[in-house]
Order: sequence, then structure tokens, then C-alpha cells
Amino acid sequence: MWDQVNLIFSRAAGRIVENIANFLPGLVVLVVLFLAAIVVAAIVRVVLYRLLRGLDFDQRASRTGLAMLAEWAPDKSASLMVARIAQWTILFLGFLAGLSALDATMPSYFALTVFGYLPNLVAAAIILVLGDLFARFVARSVLISAVNMQIQSARLLSVGVKWLVLILAGTMALEQIGLGREILLLAFGILFGGVVLAMALAVGLGSKDAVSRTLDRQLRDGSEPHAPGERIDHV
Amino acid sequence: MVIGVGAYNNAATIGPVMEAVQAGLQRHQPAVESCIVLAEGGSTDGTPDVVRHALGPRAGRLVQVAYPVHPADLLEAAYHGLPGRPQALAAIFRTAAALGARACAVVDASVASLGADWIAALIEPALDGGFDFVAPCYARAPQEGALTRSIVYPLFRALYGVRLHQPAGGEFGCSRALLDHLLAQDGWQDGGHGVGVDIWTTTAAVCGGFKVCETRLGPRRHVSRDDAPDLSATIVQVIGALFTEQARRAEVWQRIRGSAGVPAFGTSPAVPEAPPVEVSQLVESFRLGYRELRDVWAAVLPPATIIALKRLVVGSAGAFAMDDELWARIIYDFAVGHRLRVLRPDHLLGALTPLYLGWLASFLGEVGTGDAAVVDERIERLALAFERQKPYLISRWRWPERFNA
Repeated sequence: MWDQVNLIFSRAAGRIVENIANFLPGLVVLVVLFLAAIVVAAIVRVVLYRLLRGLDFDQRASRTGLAMLAEWAPDKSASLMVARIAQWTILFLGFLAGLSALDATMPSYFALTVFGYLPNLVAAAIILVLGDLFARFVARSVLISAVNMQIQSARLLSVGVKWLVLILAGTMALEQIGLGREILLLAFGILFGGVVLAMALAVGLGSKDAVSRTLDRQLRDGSEPHAPGERIDHV
Repeated sequence: MVIGVGAYNNAATIGPVMEAVQAGLQRHQPAVESCIVLAEGGSTDGTPDVVRHALGPRAGRLVQVAYPVHPADLLEAAYHGLPGRPQALAAIFRTAAALGARACAVVDASVASLGADWIAALIEPALDGGFDFVAPCYARAPQEGALTRSIVYPLFRALYGVRLHQPAGGEFGCSRALLDHLLAQDGWQDGGHGVGVDIWTTTAAVCGGFKVCETRLGPRRHVSRDDAPDLSATIVQVIGALFTEQARRAEVWQRIRGSAGVPAFGTSPAVPEAPPVEVSQLVESFRLGYRELRDVWAAVLPPATIIALKRLVVGSAGAFAMDDELWARIIYDFAVGHRLRVLRPDHLLGALTPLYLGWLASFLGEVGTGDAAVVDERIERLALAFERQKPYLISRWRWPERFNA
């Protein structure tokens, strides 16, 4: 019986050693690739940052409306933000490449799945970034126009519009990734409709008196409503 | 000589304008061979017929030229009211040059107060006085032309050293030499000078070293179109054109210090009445702007200016007074912001509107319905503040990053 136990143990130990022996080179490759990725990422970050600073990228980004990059960066520097994005992308890709070198079914499958999914993730990220840019642009347009139209709740209006655009962009991004498609669309429809209804009610109830005053004035003297200083020639 | 009139669907107003032009030519310059050039943008309301009817038997001296009006010109309601005005001016200038005109005057087809004497006032200094550019000077109530008084005139004067009171006037006269100079400049193709072509013309004349003068024309009553732009859009157009020229001619204005007056012709008639403006509403607009647009302003204005504006907001409406030096620095900061593209130009200049209304409240609170002398004295003080603050503009222009800390 002890002989059988010994045999089983030795076979098991042999399999384990064999598996470890098979796994170790992959692990070494993973570690080497990841370490190489760390070094390459660090070099790319430093070189890219210096290059962008040399090209006055921060100023150019703020002039061309890419100031959002700087707003997300901890040091308010668009150059640093781009350099960090490049660094983390290289690290992530290095890690995935290392995983595929393990030759283990599970990590390889994960790596291949992630690689296959990358285009969707990139598309979703682009949608989010563009959505954020557009939301900020529209929000500022609405805010300035509303203030110049003497709307007291200009900020509320601007924030509402901004979040509508952000929600739309977020929904599109999640749709791109394929997360909870039906539920998401339904939730978005309910949320969007709710926000629009709430805004309509808020504006309608809030400006009830103003509308009645305006209509009253128009009916009395037939004149159009004017913002302060609108009836005079300024030029 | 040539009198140019640009028109696009101006049938309602162009008849009296043409009669005045004709009367002016007969009364003041009967011996000089003259011609009326009508630059027509393809009106659909019978404008050319109205013109011929107004000129009657003397319609023979009319030269009608077509100028293109692009869809974009119709979409962007211009403050001066003439869609495609750059193309219209180009057509008038080219025709005047082709006709061999010694001098040319341009008048607006929608000015209801245009009199026969305006023609002589605009053309004679260029024809007989040796001047190259005759700028208009209108008689206006304190609350009228405030954008010109508060920004256009003092900024133009501080930048280019010339005291022209109406750099963006719709009427002007010019000599043949200036005409050739203007036509030789780039940017006439496809209306490249944009909606602020009048500011471009004045700046080109001043920076080109031409002899400049002013002529007092009296009140200017302009019949606005139904699609006339609101105040904010007007500021975007007028101040945007001024800032664009400022950036284009930075090499010129940075060398200029102080300013000099220009010869002025004509007498100053009585100032006409204008619709009253509620100063308290203007103050409220300024306060609303501070409350909601402070973050936008902070992208352009240094912290010290924001603090100064806050003091204005928390003060009582009765004692509301914006310091001239502060106002000059605000305009200079916006000019630098416009050049650096800190924000989109329409956002940047749209955010200037509440500040302008604040200045207007301060100005009207001080001068009230005062006579022209009081207003002129007040504007002179403002213009001097712009001149005193010009080193600040030059510093910010050259080293903008120093002020961001």
C-alpha cells in the first residue's frame, strides 16, 4: 500500500515539477517583458514629455481647444497627460504580451480576448473624449447665451445641457463596449425623457410670471420684449 | 468722383437715400463729373427699380454693378445690415477705379437721416482738401454708440495714435490714392475682410500713412432690418474685427505712443433724443454676468481684476462706477485672450457683453442725459486711461505667461 502511495505521490510531484518547469519559462518571459515594458514606458514618458514641452504643446493645446487634457492632468499640463497616457498604454500592452507568452490557456485566452476587444475599448474612449469636449463646448455656449438673454438660471440650464450630452456620450460608449445593451437603452430613454420633462417643467413653472408679463406688455403696446440696452444702436 | 451705395433688399429705405445723394451732387459739386455706383447683391424686392425711380431723368449717371451674396452672408446677420458688405465695397472700389474717379464716397442704403449735405461733407475733403480718408463723426445721445465710445474709439486711438471717433462708420470718403492702396491689399476675394470690413478700411488707411480727417455728419438714424443681430452678436462682430486687426498689425501699434487729433470739418448739430435706458437693469445684467460667467472671465482676466469686479458687484447700485483704468485693462486682457485663443472668439466676446453693460451703467450713471460736451469730456478721460494702460497691453501681448501665475 505504501508503495502505491509513494508511486502516486511521486507521479503527482513529477507532474507538479513538470508543470512548474513548463510554466516557469513563460513566467520568466512575462516578468522580463513586463520589466522591459516598464523601462520602455519610462523612457517613452520622459522623451515624449520633453519633446512636447520643447514644442510648446501646453500652449498649443490650450489654443486649439484641447485644454481638457490639461484639466484631467494632476499638474494641469497637457504634455504630462499625453506622456502618462503613452506610458500606461505601453505598460498595459507589455503586460498583455507577457500573459500570452505564459502559454497557459486561461491567461492567453484572457489576453487574446482583451486584444480582440481593444478596438471597441478605443472606440468607446474616443466617444467619451469627444462627448466630453462637445459637452463642455455646448455648456459654455448655453451659459453665455443664457446670461446675455438675462436668464437667471443660466448655470442650471448649462449644467443640464452638459449632462444630457455626457449621458448620451456615456450611453454610446457603453453600447460600443456591449454592456447591458437593452437595459442601457431603456434606462437612457427613461433618464433622458425624465431630464427633459424636468427641465421643461422647471423652466415653465419658473418663468410663468415672466412669460405672462411679456405677453401682457406685447398685448398692451405691441412692442417686442428687449434685453437691457437692446433698443439702442451701440455701434 | 463716385458715390457708392451698397444695397440688398433695401427698397424701403433706398429711395430717399438716392434722392439725397443726387441732391448733394447737384448742390455741392455740379461742375465735377460724377457718377453713382449701385452695388447690388441680387435684391428680390425691386430695389434697383426704386433707385431708378428716385433718380428720375438723371438715372443715366447710375452705374449698377452686381456683387455676390453668399449663403453665409445671409445666415450671419451683420451689425451694419448689409449682407456681403465686403464684396459690395470691393465692387464699388473697382468700379470707381475703372471709371478713373479722383475720389469716392460710400454711403449706407439704410440711413434714414442721410441728407444732401452728407455727400459734400464726405467727398470734398478728399476731392479738394488733400485728405485721403474722410471718417464720419455722428451726433449721438449719451446712450447711443456706446460700444464705439467705450471700446472701439479708445482702443483704436490708443493702438494707432489717431483720434478718430467713428472707426467703424458706415459712411466714409477716400481719395484715389487710398482707393488704389485698398484694392492692392490681399483679402478681397470671397469677402475675406469679413463683417468688420469698415474697421479694416479705417485701419488700412491709418496704418498706410494716409492723410486722415473727420467730418461731422449730424445724427445717424439707421433703419434696422428684421434680422438685426442682438447686442452680444454685435459685440462679437465689431470687437472681433477690431481685435483681429490688432493682432494683424501688432508690429505697427507696439511702436506708437500717445495720440494726435485729426482735422475735423463741419459743425456739431444738436444731439438727437434716444430711447431711455434703465441703468438699474444694466447693473443687474452685470451682476448676473459676474455670478454666472466668473469662471469664464477668470480664463481671460487676472485675479486682481476679478477682485475689482467683485467689489463692484457687492457695492450698492446707486454708487456703481467702473474705474477707467480697470475697464481699459479688461479690454486689453480680452484682446490678449482673443489673440491667444484662450476661448473660442464667439465665447470670449460673448462673455464680454455683461462687462460692457456694466460699463454702460457706470457711464450713464455718471453723464445721465448730459449734453455733448459732458459726454465728450468723459470719453476723453476714458481714452486717456486706455493710453496710460497701453504698456500693460504691450507687456501682456509680449509675455502673456507672466500674468497667469
